[in-house]
Amino acid sequence: MAGLELLSDQGYRLDGRKATEVRKVQARMGVFAQADGSAYLEQGNTKALAVVYGPHEMRGSRSRTLHDRAVINCQYSMATFSTAERKRRPHGDRKSTEMSLHLKQTFEAAVMTQLYPRSQIDIYVKILQSDGGNYSVCVNAATLAVIDAGIPMRDYVCACTVGFVDETPLADLCYAEESGGVSSLALALLPRGGQIALLQMDARLHQDHLEALIEAAMIACKGVSKVLDEVVRQHLQEVSMLTAE
Amino acid sequence: MIRTEKILHLKNNRGRRLRVVREHYLREEVPCYSSVCQAGCPNGGKVLPGDLTHYVVPDVGVGVDYLEILEFQEMQGIIFTQTVCQAVQHSKGRRQYNRLRNLLKDPRHDCVLFSNEFQEYSYCPREKGESQEEWQTRCVYSAAVWYHNHLAGLMDIVMITQDQDTVTEYSSLNSGVYVVSVQDYLKNFWPDLQGAHELYASISLALQVKESEGKEEEYRDHLPAEVLDAGIKSGRYIQGTLNVSKHRAQTEAFVMLEGFSNKSSDIGWCVLVHGDKARNRAVHGDIVVVELLPKSEWKGKVTALTEGQGEEKSGEDERKPMATGRVVGVQQRNWRDYVVTVPPREGPQAQSRNFQRILTVPWDHRIPKIRISTQQADTLQDHRVVVRIDSWETSSLYPNGHTVRVLGRAGELDTEVQTIVVENSISVPPFSDAQLREMPLNSAENPWTVDPAQVEARLDIRQSHLVFSIDPKGCEDVDDTLSVRCLADGKLFELGVHIADVTHFVKEGSLTDLEARSRATTYYLADRRYDMLPAVLSSDLCSLLGGVDRYAMSVIWELDAHTLAVNKVWYGRTIIRSSYQLHYELAQALLNGEQVPVPELAQVSPEQKDSRLAELTQALETLTFIARHLRAQRDRGGALELEGVEVRAKLDEQKNITALVPRQPLEVHETVAECMIYANHWVARKIQETFPHQALLRRHPPPRQEFFSQLVESAKARGFNIDTTTNKTLADSLERAVDPEDSLVNRLLRMMTTQAMSEALYFSTGALTVPEFYHYGLALDCYTHFTSPIRRYADMVVHRLLTAAIAEEKALSKMLASNKEVEQMSQHINKKNRAAKRAQKLSTELFQCLFFKDRDPQSDPHCMADGIIYSIRDDGVLVFVPEYGIKAPVYLKNREGQVVMVQQDGSCERTSGTIRRHRDHISTTSACGTSTFRLFDHITVRISVSSSHCHADRIHLEIISNKPYQSSQPAQPHTEARCQLVREVVRLAEEAHQQAQQKEARRSKFSREEREFCQSKTPNLYSLLEEVRELALMDLEMVGQVCATTA
Repeated sequence: MAGLELLSDQGYRLDGRKATEVRKVQARMGVFAQADGSAYLEQGNTKALAVVYGPHEMRGSRSRTLHDRAVINCQYSMATFSTAERKRRPHGDRKSTEMSLHLKQTFEAAVMTQLYPRSQIDIYVKILQSDGGNYSVCVNAATLAVIDAGIPMRDYVCACTVGFVDETPLADLCYAEESGGVSSLALALLPRGGQIALLQMDARLHQDHLEALIEAAMIACKGVSKVLDEVVRQHLQEVSMLTAE
Repeated sequence: MIRTEKILHLKNNRGRRLRVVREHYLREEVPCYSSVCQAGCPNGGKVLPGDLTHYVVPDVGVGVDYLEILEFQEMQGIIFTQTVCQAVQHSKGRRQYNRLRNLLKDPRHDCVLFSNEFQEYSYCPREKGESQEEWQTRCVYSAAVWYHNHLAGLMDIVMITQDQDTVTEYSSLNSGVYVVSVQDYLKNFWPDLQGAHELYASISLALQVKESEGKEEEYRDHLPAEVLDAGIKSGRYIQGTLNVSKHRAQTEAFVMLEGFSNKSSDIGWCVLVHGDKARNRAVHGDIVVVELLPKSEWKGKVTALTEGQGEEKSGEDERKPMATGRVVGVQQRNWRDYVVTVPPREGPQAQSRNFQRILTVPWDHRIPKIRISTQQADTLQDHRVVVRIDSWETSSLYPNGHTVRVLGRAGELDTEVQTIVVENSISVPPFSDAQLREMPLNSAENPWTVDPAQVEARLDIRQSHLVFSIDPKGCEDVDDTLSVRCLADGKLFELGVHIADVTHFVKEGSLTDLEARSRATTYYLADRRYDMLPAVLSSDLCSLLGGVDRYAMSVIWELDAHTLAVNKVWYGRTIIRSSYQLHYELAQALLNGEQVPVPELAQVSPEQKDSRLAELTQALETLTFIARHLRAQRDRGGALELEGVEVRAKLDEQKNITALVPRQPLEVHETVAECMIYANHWVARKIQETFPHQALLRRHPPPRQEFFSQLVESAKARGFNIDTTTNKTLADSLERAVDPEDSLVNRLLRMMTTQAMSEALYFSTGALTVPEFYHYGLALDCYTHFTSPIRRYADMVVHRLLTAAIAEEKALSKMLASNKEVEQMSQHINKKNRAAKRAQKLSTELFQCLFFKDRDPQSDPHCMADGIIYSIRDDGVLVFVPEYGIKAPVYLKNREGQVVMVQQDGSCERTSGTIRRHRDHISTTSACGTSTFRLFDHITVRISVSSSHCHADRIHLEIISNKPYQSSQPAQPHTEARCQLVREVVRLAEEAHQQAQQKEARRSKFSREEREFCQSKTPNLYSLLEEVRELALMDLEMVGQVCATTA
């Protein structure tokens, strides 16, 4: 479809960013007292709340218990007011089930589950406002929540979406870009080792371009990880000051 | 950190009751693209010069409505703001926006785009209750102020607007930033730019008129785009390109469907749109959406020939009905510049206002009349004017337009040629100084020499190879040379094709390159040509002249002497010195063993001469041998006769030339052509292998079988069977379809075959699948153009690809154009080629008309000629006149209902009667009997010119007798007669030559044009006309005037 020009000749995107720039990330940890860990993260206009319970004993069907590591249970949901049109979003629809599954896979790769055999870790994520890149925002928020809960991880898991427009990879797509028919790719990365926790793409893309796209996604993820790291350090400082008093 | 400094802003836009919140990032460093920038902006690419008095910032209204004025190259230092660009995109659509974008990209034009809305200090958020226009103006103004401050006051900024309120509101706010109206701006800063002033007046008048338009509805509204899209998807509507019928422009138009996915048996491949109302303001070339009418309202296509416009045929609609529809919407307007004629006024019209609205008649029949408003209605009378269409409201019967420039008085030669040029959207301004400055120097005092560094880098074959060129006599731009030699005791042949290395001189992205790209080809008109490259390259430094060192791109094959299998191919850059600059006749004479003087050997001693002559002849013989073999190879694959494909349209016109000039197709023509095809083919293979996604190739898609029906039926009338299943069977059956009585039959059949052919096209290999690369006419699996870089841009692209392929560095391939760009470029070149071909055809027709215009059809013997019927229509026949290469209709029934009857002695008369059309003949019946005209009958016709004021003149044929014209002998002794004629022509030409030196000068100029024209290796109609004119010089003084005007 014609219409929006996603990348202008001058190299600006719709919202004024350049191709490699990530949206502004703001985050807070420890927003709820009841939960073991919690975090709130804004990436541009996409806002997510992540809550972690556990590790604790298996609840529900005990048959799922794993004797050598913890079970990670993820649940993803969107608020009814998260998009421009108010819409009831029942639990367990296909989209959110898929998203939950992806989150689960991501965190199984990152959390050191073997330290907690026969236990369970619950991660709940809610999108409060959606403006593209829901998956990556969820992952980033959940990472902070898991850290807040004090559960050991191999590394931060940072995620980012990239799209491919005019032979150029665009980092961290917003909703207007995502809906403009761009083939996008979501990547979750353990930045220090450069290991990929999850890579997901369901659009058509020429094989030749894949490498460049992954490269761009990795760079973007590393950028996000720096921000997350800063947030964590600042949070720790605050907490330690409080406890010192 | 990869993030830059940015502040989050929210922008609300309301639409469909949605509240969409979007982020908006601002930054400090947005490049200003000015060379006087003090802050060190990262200005890449185009930069505004610093030596101007001011920069101009147009506001939204100016950008939207007056963009054309800003397109003048004289206007410098224009800063388009992002706000303006977006407004243009939204309010004017993609076409206008693309124009603006191209303007910004064009390095010849001094304008830049400033992303003001992403600049922290020039951005102003829209305030509550502020209208869109106010906000946009404020944005543009704040951008102008930013510029002034950013450049530290070194440059004055002028913001131009159309809104008086803006002028009063902003003009005194800031010193150094001036706000003026467009009119004042033009008056104060560009008082000399007359064109801009006129354009401004014409646009503003057109805008005024638009506002004061009445409200009665003449047409239905177009449906909104969403409805159209949905309708197309659901199959309710059909999308296609509107093609107005040339002969019945008032009523008939066809919509050519795109794609055949929804092809159902009763729709076929085009939909008829009948009448003005159904066409609903669509103009020829627009992409429209049609809705099919119910079957009961379907109409038939009128196949009768109509004499003149506006004639109503009633009762003709009974013909087999075809799918008929009406236009419900226009997807994309394809309006271009139109040439119109301002008709003479009938009586003074009282006009209260100081401007007048006049209806002008476009030169192209297919375009509706255009209403323009002008203050110079009187001076424009009878002139041809370039006009652009602005709009076509539902309330108006005709579209509104404005004038762009005046071409000249109608009927003058120069005006007419310019008309042809404009009508084909060809733009050929003279080369600018900046472009010429890029050219290497070569003058008598400062001759160009070979660069030693280049000698190092290139293969030097100046000594080792005998290189020669074969071209039409006296050719100036030699772009191909050949070499051939025996290796290893005659077991191997080494064949070399050396092509002028144009890309060495023309660097990619240079001004000359951009100009060449936009021209895409050299345009050959009948009396002039427009070069693609400046003369210093095309006829000097790139031309592979004899006896001088030149750079070349070479393909050298090592062939087995017996099987001619290729052992080795070498591609590369070379340095050559052509030893002989032969012409076709000379080469053929050498091959035939005749004793002819070779100019290059004139100074050489006799014994040396013999040996060198033997060497040359030997080379030519080997070459001929190889070429025959290659040709046979292709023939086995099913190649059609070359002329039958590529330049066929020219050839039918040349037929008559062979009838006057004995430029028999010599074998050596074919030899050279074959070597070139071979070179092209191998280069295509190489670049396709190296760059599977971005090579520029040329394909020739197989024709649609339904196009062959006329050919097959016509052939059947003569008892020939044409098998069109593959190109092989077609070539074979055409070979067989020879009438021993009449050699013209075979030519006509080949002509029809050519008409059925699809067009050969350039394309990018990434855009199509490999089987689609096939070249139908040449029967090759891949083909490209490599051998004429001086006159075709495609060849230059291929040269660059080949250079990159040889270098075989992946780094280089990154810099090459991507698939998308190559595809865009090939489409551009295809378009330009089509335009060039059409312009050439039109100019030939123009000269045909000029030739006959001043003759009295009743008395002049030139106006009587032999014609052959090649197609039957309802009320007449189509006739081909081989002597002049004219194809035109002959009406057997005129408007009064009288039909042509053949008398006893063969002469024809008109009486009242009826007419009946059959499959292969047409017969007229009246009180005194029946006469029949069959396909391929020879008849005598009288040629006259029906002149038209607003359109091009047309050749008119009238049937005189159903016997062949007496002067043309029967087919067999034709050749002798021809030779006689030729001798006479030559004699007369020589006499004329002696007569006056002046005339000589003129003649040589003509023959030069002709030689250039012969670059396509085919003689053309132009030389015929020249010959005929020379004959005429002796008889009639009148023709001399024609000559004088053409000279």
